[in-house]
Amino acid sequence: MLVVAACVGYLIYSASGGSSEYYLTVSELRAHPAYDQDVRVAGVVQNDVLHPPGPPGHATVQFTEKDSTASILVVYSGPLPDIFKPGITVVAEGRLGADGIFHARSILAKCPSRFSTSPYTQ
Amino acid sequence: MILADIGAGALLAGLVLAAFSTLLSFWAGRQENAVMVQVGRRAFYAAAGMVVLASVVLEAALLTHDFTLVYVVEHSDLSTPTPLIAAGFYGGQEGSLLYWTLVLGLLGSASLVASASLGVRLAAYATGVMATIVTFFLVVLVLVASPFDVLPITPADGLGLNPVLRDSGMLIHPPVVLAGFASFAVPFSFAAAALLANRIDAAWIAHTRRFALLAWSFQTTGLVLGMWWAYHVLGWGGYWGWDPVENVALMPWLATTAYLHSAQVQERRGRLRAWNFGLVILAFLLVVFGTFIVRSGVVPSVHTFAVSAIGPWFLGFLAACLVFSGALLAWRAGGLRSTGEPAAAVSREGAFALQNLLLIGVVAVVFWGTVLPLVSGMLGQERVVDASYYERAAGPLLAALLALMAAGPLLPWRRAGAPWLRALAWPAGGAVVTLLGLLVFGVSSIPALLALPLAVAAGVTCLVEYGRAVRKRRIGLFVKRRRRYGAYLAHIGLVVVAVGIAASHFWQQEADVTLRPGEHVSVFGSAFTYAGAEQRQLGDHSELVAVMRFGDTTLEPSRATYAGLGGQSLTHVAITTTPLADVYVILVGSSPDGSASFRILINPLVSWIWAGGGLLLLGVAFGNLGARRAETVAAVTRPAVVPSWR
Repeated sequence: MLVVAACVGYLIYSASGGSSEYYLTVSELRAHPAYDQDVRVAGVVQNDVLHPPGPPGHATVQFTEKDSTASILVVYSGPLPDIFKPGITVVAEGRLGADGIFHARSILAKCPSRFSTSPYTQ
Repeated sequence: MILADIGAGALLAGLVLAAFSTLLSFWAGRQENAVMVQVGRRAFYAAAGMVVLASVVLEAALLTHDFTLVYVVEHSDLSTPTPLIAAGFYGGQEGSLLYWTLVLGLLGSASLVASASLGVRLAAYATGVMATIVTFFLVVLVLVASPFDVLPITPADGLGLNPVLRDSGMLIHPPVVLAGFASFAVPFSFAAAALLANRIDAAWIAHTRRFALLAWSFQTTGLVLGMWWAYHVLGWGGYWGWDPVENVALMPWLATTAYLHSAQVQERRGRLRAWNFGLVILAFLLVVFGTFIVRSGVVPSVHTFAVSAIGPWFLGFLAACLVFSGALLAWRAGGLRSTGEPAAAVSREGAFALQNLLLIGVVAVVFWGTVLPLVSGMLGQERVVDASYYERAAGPLLAALLALMAAGPLLPWRRAGAPWLRALAWPAGGAVVTLLGLLVFGVSSIPALLALPLAVAAGVTCLVEYGRAVRKRRIGLFVKRRRRYGAYLAHIGLVVVAVGIAASHFWQQEADVTLRPGEHVSVFGSAFTYAGAEQRQLGDHSELVAVMRFGDTTLEPSRATYAGLGGQSLTHVAITTTPLADVYVILVGSSPDGSASFRILINPLVSWIWAGGGLLLLGVAFGNLGARRAETVAAVTRPAVVPSWR
C-alpha cells in the first residue's frame, strides 16, 4: 500500500512540475512579463478583432483586460470558438514574445453554459 | 402564477416532511421503536412525493410557456422545440437541483421499501441520513435557488436556450450525469447508517448493491455520452479535455468502480470492511465536491457557471459531510479491523486490493490537477496543469490497471499456485504478439507499445475464461454464473474503449487546408475535393454549408448563424466513419472569393470507444439483472430479527 502511495505521489510530483502553466490575467502578465514560457491568459475580447488578409479562419485578436487598463495584442491563427466575438471572455494559451505580442496556440472560450446568468437575475 | 404557488408550496411542504423524517428516524432508531421508524420512513416517501409534485409543476410551467416564472423565461422561448423545452427542467441551476432531489427522493424511497429486513436501527438511520441530504437540497431550493421565483412583469417571450445546447445530446447527457451523481447518495446513506448502528457485516453492501450498480451505470453512461457529445458537437475533434467539469464527473466513477470490485472481497471473504465504508463515503464526498466545483466557479473551466449564491452552501455541506464521515469512521475504526490470517499478496483479493489502490491513485492524480489552481492561487500565483500532466501522471497507473485486468481474473481466491502461472501464458502470449506486430509496423512510441499489448492481454484473459466454459461444453454457465461472465464482458468492453482511446490518442492526424471550389487536396493519403459552399435558410438560423467530397462520401461541414441571438454561430462538424478511422472535417472559415479553410482530422478507432462503452454497460446489465447475490456471503453477524409491528 505504501509502495503504491509513494509511486502515485512521485508521479503527481514529477508530472505537475513539468506540465503546469501560470494562469494569469492580462494585467498580471503585463506586471510580470514571462517570456519564453507557456502561460494561459484570460481577458475580454475588445471591439478591435482583425481578420487579416490571407486564408480565412486566421484572426488577429486584441483584447483588453476588462477591469483594468492593461491590454495585450494576441495573435492567433486557427479555428476560433463558435461564440468568439467582442465582449466574451477567452483564455489564450501560448507565449509572450519579445515583441510584446502574445502568440497564442489555442483560444478557449468560456462555454456559455446552461448556468449562465441573464439580465433577469442580475 | 398559480403554478408558481403550487410549486413553491410543494417544496416547502417537502422540506418540512424531510426535516421531520430526519429527526423522527434518528430518534426512533435510537429507541428501536419500529412503529415510529415506519412513520419516519413514510414521511420520507411523502417528502419525495412533494418533490415529484414540484417537478411536475415546473415541467408544466415550461411546457405551457408560463413566462411569469424567471426560470421559464431564462431557459426557454416560444421557438424552442418541445423536447428541448422539456429538457429545460434540468437545464438550469435551480431546475437541476430539483432534478437531483427528485432522483434521490425516488431511488431513496425504492431503497427504503425493503430496508426493514436490515433491522430497525440500520433502516431508521439510513432513512435519517437520506432525509438529511434531501432536507439540505430542499433548504437550498426553498431559500437560495428556487425555480419558482416570479417576475414582476411578464415578458412576451423567453430568452431561449443557447444554440450550443440545442442538440439531442442535451436531452440525454445532463439527466444521466445528474442521476448518477444523485443516486450515489443511496449507498452512502446505508453505509453511514451501518456505521451508526454498528452493523459492520456485509448486509448493507448486499442491500445497496443494485443501487451502487445503478449509480455506476448512470455515471458510465453519462461519461460516454458526454464524450460522444463533445466529439460530435462541442469539441474540436476531442472527446476529453481534462476540464475540471469533466474531472469531477470522472472521479466518483473511478471510486465507484473501485467499490464495485472491493465489495466482492467483503461479500466473499469478509475482508476490506473499513476500506469499503471509506470508498462509498469517498465516492459520495467526490460527488458533493464535484457539485460544489461545478456550481461555484472556483476553478477556471471552459464551462462558465454564473457565480451563484449556492457555492457557500455546498461548501458548507461538503465540510459537514467530511466531518461527519471522518468522525464516524474514526469512531468505529476499532471494530472494522479484519480478523484472521492476512491475505496472500498473489491472490484474487490481493489483485482487488491493488486495483483499488491504483484507481484511488488515479483519483488522487485527477483531484490534484483539478484543485491545483485553487491551492496555488491561495499560496501565490495561480497555476494550471494541461493534458500532459494527466497523461504523465495517470498514464502509468492506467497501464498498471490494464496489466492487472489481464492477471487478476485468473487468480484464485486465498492463494495462487502454479496453475495460475500456466494460465497466464495466454494473455502474456497475446501481449508479446501485439508488441511484435506494433514493432513490425514501425511504432516507436513507448506509451503505445505499453498500452496496446496490455490491453490485448486483458482482452485475451476474458476470452480464455469464455473459452474454458465453451470447451467444457457448459454454455449454461454463462447464464447460471452470469455475474462472473457479465463482468468479463464488461472487461472486454473496457479493453475496446482503451484500444480506441489509445489509437485515437497516439495516431490522430491533423491538417489545416484552404481550398478554392473545385480544388483537390491529399491529406494523409486520402483525397478530398472541395465542391463549393451554399447558404441555406432554416427556421431561426441560416447555415453556410461547404460541400466536400471524400471518395464516394459527401461531407457537409457547416456553420450556422443565429440572427436572433446576437449573430452567435455554431459549427457543425462533418464526420464519416470508416472501419479504422473517423474522417472529421471542420469548416473553419470562408472568404468572399469563394475559398474556404478546413481543419481535417483523421481519428483512428474512435468508434471503438462508443462500441466498447456499450459492451461495458451490456456486460454489467447482463451480469446483474435478476442475478443472485454473491455465492458465499460471508456475513459476520446475522441480521437481527425484525420485530413485527403489525
